[in-house]
Amino acid sequence: MEPIKAIEMKGICKTFGSVKANEDVDLTVYNGEVHALLGENGAGKSTLVNMLSGIYRQDCGTVSIYGEEVHFSSPKDPIEMGIGMIHQHFKLVDVMTARQNIALGKSKGLFTRNKQLTKEIRSISDQYGLDVDPDKKVYNMSVGEKQTLEIIKVLYRGAKILILDEPTAVLTPQEIRRLFQIIRTMRDQGCAIVIITHKLGEVMEISDRITVLRKGRTIGTVKTSEVQVPSLIEMMVGKKVDLAIKKEKTDQEKKVLLEVDNLHVINSENKTALSGISFDLHAGEILGVAGVAGSGQKEICETIAGLTRADKGRIFFEGENIIGKTPRDIIRLGIRMGFIPEDRLGMGLVGTMDIVHNLILKDYQNQPGIFLRRGPCEAKARSIVERLDIQTPGIHYPVKKLSGGNIQKVLLGREIDSNPKVLITAYPVRGLDIGASYKIYDLLNEQKKNGVGVLFIGEDLDVLMDLCDRVMVFCMGKVTGIVNPDEVTKEQIGLLMTGGKEGLAHDQI
Amino acid sequence: MTRFNIIKRDDLPKKREWIIRTLAILFSLVSAGLVILALGFDPLEVFPGMVTGALGTEIRLTQTILKAIPLIVTSLGILVAFKMNFWNIGGEGQILMGALAAAYVALNVEGLPKPVMLLLMAAAAMVAGGIWAFIPAFFKARMGVNETIFTLMLNYIAIKFVTYLQYGPWKSPESQGFPKVATFPDNATLPKLFGIHIGWVIALILVVLVYIFINHTKKGFEIRVVGESKETARYAGMNISSVIIVAMLISGGLCGLTGMIQASAVEKTLAASLSGGYGFTAIITAWLARLNAIAVLFVCFAFAILLQGGSYIQISMQIPAAVADMLQGIILFFVLGSEFFIQYKIGIVRKNIPQKEVA
Amino acid sequence: MKKFLAIFLVLALAMTAMAGCGGGAEEPNGNGEAPEDVTTIGFLYIGPVTDGGYNQAQHMGAMAVQEEFGDSVKVLWAENVAEDLQAVKTNAINMIDNGATIVIGTSFGHMDGLEELANEYPDLTFLHFSGYKMNDTNFGNYFGAMEEARYLSGIVAGLTTETNKLGYIAAYPYTEVLIGINSFFLGAKSVNPDVTMNVVYINSWGDAALEQAAAESLLAQNCDVLTQHADTSAAQVAAEKVGAYAVGYNIDNSKVAPGSFLTAPIWHHEAYLVPVIEKIIAGEYVPESYYGTMADGYIGLAPLTDLVSDEAKAEVERVQAEIIAGNYPIFVGPLKDNAGNVVVPEGEAMTAREDIWAMDYVLEGITAMQ
Repeated sequence: MEPIKAIEMKGICKTFGSVKANEDVDLTVYNGEVHALLGENGAGKSTLVNMLSGIYRQDCGTVSIYGEEVHFSSPKDPIEMGIGMIHQHFKLVDVMTARQNIALGKSKGLFTRNKQLTKEIRSISDQYGLDVDPDKKVYNMSVGEKQTLEIIKVLYRGAKILILDEPTAVLTPQEIRRLFQIIRTMRDQGCAIVIITHKLGEVMEISDRITVLRKGRTIGTVKTSEVQVPSLIEMMVGKKVDLAIKKEKTDQEKKVLLEVDNLHVINSENKTALSGISFDLHAGEILGVAGVAGSGQKEICETIAGLTRADKGRIFFEGENIIGKTPRDIIRLGIRMGFIPEDRLGMGLVGTMDIVHNLILKDYQNQPGIFLRRGPCEAKARSIVERLDIQTPGIHYPVKKLSGGNIQKVLLGREIDSNPKVLITAYPVRGLDIGASYKIYDLLNEQKKNGVGVLFIGEDLDVLMDLCDRVMVFCMGKVTGIVNPDEVTKEQIGLLMTGGKEGLAHDQI
Repeated sequence: MTRFNIIKRDDLPKKREWIIRTLAILFSLVSAGLVILALGFDPLEVFPGMVTGALGTEIRLTQTILKAIPLIVTSLGILVAFKMNFWNIGGEGQILMGALAAAYVALNVEGLPKPVMLLLMAAAAMVAGGIWAFIPAFFKARMGVNETIFTLMLNYIAIKFVTYLQYGPWKSPESQGFPKVATFPDNATLPKLFGIHIGWVIALILVVLVYIFINHTKKGFEIRVVGESKETARYAGMNISSVIIVAMLISGGLCGLTGMIQASAVEKTLAASLSGGYGFTAIITAWLARLNAIAVLFVCFAFAILLQGGSYIQISMQIPAAVADMLQGIILFFVLGSEFFIQYKIGIVRKNIPQKEVA
Repeated sequence: MKKFLAIFLVLALAMTAMAGCGGGAEEPNGNGEAPEDVTTIGFLYIGPVTDGGYNQAQHMGAMAVQEEFGDSVKVLWAENVAEDLQAVKTNAINMIDNGATIVIGTSFGHMDGLEELANEYPDLTFLHFSGYKMNDTNFGNYFGAMEEARYLSGIVAGLTTETNKLGYIAAYPYTEVLIGINSFFLGAKSVNPDVTMNVVYINSWGDAALEQAAAESLLAQNCDVLTQHADTSAAQVAAEKVGAYAVGYNIDNSKVAPGSFLTAPIWHHEAYLVPVIEKIIAGEYVPESYYGTMADGYIGLAPLTDLVSDEAKAEVERVQAEIIAGNYPIFVGPLKDNAGNVVVPEGEAMTAREDIWAMDYVLEGITAMQ
């Protein structure tokens, strides 16, 4: 028997201004399959699923759900049709319990019937192997639990088609395994699941079929069992890419550049963000930082850069304690930080300004007088654009109009260009496509070769292990271990990320 | 079922922008014309009357410039704050506090030569206006207090305070009990150049200075960065509190200077009505000028044409004051409206969804 | 930035294009090219000419001038001219630009603006109502002995009140207003020794809402006859609602509030304006500080309505004849202010204009509130 087509999108086009985000895209997803939507950033994946979730409307082409052509005009319509979307950012109310969140926006009457609701939640949980305490408040939940709750929420609303946007980005390896288990159960129950990701390993592990998008077009749909990773990459990128991250061993004497000693930080919400952090950063090494999001990565960056006050402890830079120095002083000492936040622009760059002015941002304070000098920075801008191969119409083009990868190159280029002694980079490849990511890794390796001490805050454990000389693992503001990636497994690091306890429990699933 | 949704756009071709703007002006003239017609006046007389009434003769041009001066200086002040994303709605209060300080100097310091006197008044006015803007800036910088409401409320305090002085302690003994502050001595009034008080020279100089300040100085750069993204500014090692405070001292200082110019050159005394709504009008002009100092000059002049033209047709055609105000309102409505349509688009969504299939 | 410059250029162009269309037929805007034998007169009013009070009275004077001189005079006017230099000068200069050779400011606060204009335009003539400044060549002022009519209206109030409490809504506590308050009170007291009076200052000339609020407050204080020295008819309307009485001011408002209106001290501005404008046109005007009286016909009393008792009508008639004859001074001693200081000693009368216009107190028996 021919399986039921849950989603059939045909000849979809969507144009934003002069940009063609989707052009003649086809996507067919059957009931009972996990379908991966693969593509580099800007390939049009988000645009496509946003049409399925009623946020956009296609310019041309047809969308059919269970064989019926539909026209969504609001995010409510797809929910009625049984489509549920799990976004990267959870849409949950922190102060409410799991049950209250599930009932939210759904309850027809004035009162919610707790008992019946609990029963319904139970039955859904049992059916798909989900596990959430209905009375637990969201703020007490781990990221994995929140995600599970999101899934229950859409299932409760009757979803039979599930779309997950980058679901693994915020999870530990153990949590990912658990999520995949849930996805498989749902598939076996006859749901259709679309998963958006750019992590190839996960695609190979979980999906049944893969549709690859590139530059807004469908490149092809393949069965996962019949395809290899290199050919997938070729489909995504359009050319063959050398995948090995080089880790060059430097044999020079390891001078200690930065010494963090028993650092304690209390963040703006009066919670302990770092407690008793100690580590050394050597010249000519890349020290990776791994950890679940929010384990203190941001605070360690900001404290070294002088942006956050240390509660206790010392940070020595070339033998001098830099605690208490102003951010400007620290920049002058040669400690540079490039932090890529989730929106990419927020912390390092001014979107409406051009490359030149964004370079001036870190430079102007060293200029004499009250006037701003553009001259030196224009030359610098040109050389950075050339060296890093930044795709831009010119150095006077607003950076927010550049693509994500180019924006990040501007940011990193600026920090590298200042010949720093210590370079702190947080999430430098966040959201970048494969080609651009490798360019960034090369740049970091180059810095390392020049004797710079690089502190690399990363998301992808594979990359951390391939690129870094040492990996320091954070868990809840503590260092749970500093390991040599050549000597440990991914799972061991994952254990350290959860402090070694919860991880064990997950492992037994 | 039909719904509307509003989407920001920055992809409009230049040509389309122009079509929208031209249409807006045509529409504004047509609708204002219909109103005029309905009230029994001839739009073919009224509109040209507004333009010639503002620019037609030297006297009228002078009148227009007199109205443009306070508008320009205040708009520049507002612009500095807005560049920083600090919504300074307190222009009125800052103007009045500036005027108050200038008046205090003018009425209490004796025997100074004119230039010294005027400089002292200007300095006092800028300090007073600056302080009036510093108060909300301080609370914003230190405690994150909402500046919009804060600055707005400070307006009323300033207005009531000046009213109190005018009716009470500062009431001139010569005015037979009429609530009026004493007239400034001669050495406290701004001189004229080419028939107009030298406020126009000050305004022109300030346009250039503010343009340079915003675009070519380090402080101006910091203000722009803070306005764009506080996080970026923090990461670049800027002291955000100090940037906010400096910018607001300048913003309030410029508004205060408007107060001094109006008090010294126009009213020659302190009066609660002296700010004349310029603090609010300047918000419109600064916004229309897209926070560009040079553009402020032209926008404010154009706005002054509307003001003077409106006031002129009242006299020359004996059109009631309310009608003249209405014409200004209609024209402004369309011009501001066209900017909205240039920056946003409105989509009409038709709901059309088949009934859920029963399997 | 260029965009906005251009927007307004387009706007200007569009308007000038229309100017081109209209211009062919006739001069589209009155830009002052009046024929030589027409004199243009500009009036500055502090409020709208339909306020049912002060400004309406002023405008009636202006219209009477228009009627008197017919085509040889063109009257321009501007409403809502605030009491600051900026507003006065803007409007006056726009009038001058339209050919006005006489500019008349009708509110006290217009004085300083007119003084400046008189210096800047020595060939034109400026008149000011209610002020004290003038010069030797082209700037004069005019006013009237309103205390005479106020006194008469006080007699009416004094004989009408049953609670023996009068209410007075006043704009500002300054000399002109204080004279009115005291003369009204003296009139009432002359026929009703037990009468007292409450005064509320509203600190505004023409704010109907404030006037109404003040009236309601006075009515609540048991005042049963109100009067006002402010520009609108709100007090009379408020009094009518609760069956109390009111003495108006400025113009005859018997039709606005027939249930409360007794009479009103009123201005006959044309009685001064017509002859003085004739003089100005003839080039014979010498600046003066005119102070019109009831005898001149500049000040008067609106006809007493049927609500006024015959007794009161007779008394008003008697005193009015005496005042016109010039043997009935208003401020006769002994008078004490409400702090108990003797202001006019027994056996004396205050008659000189400069003495009256130095008044800075209210009399005993009057309670004033801000």
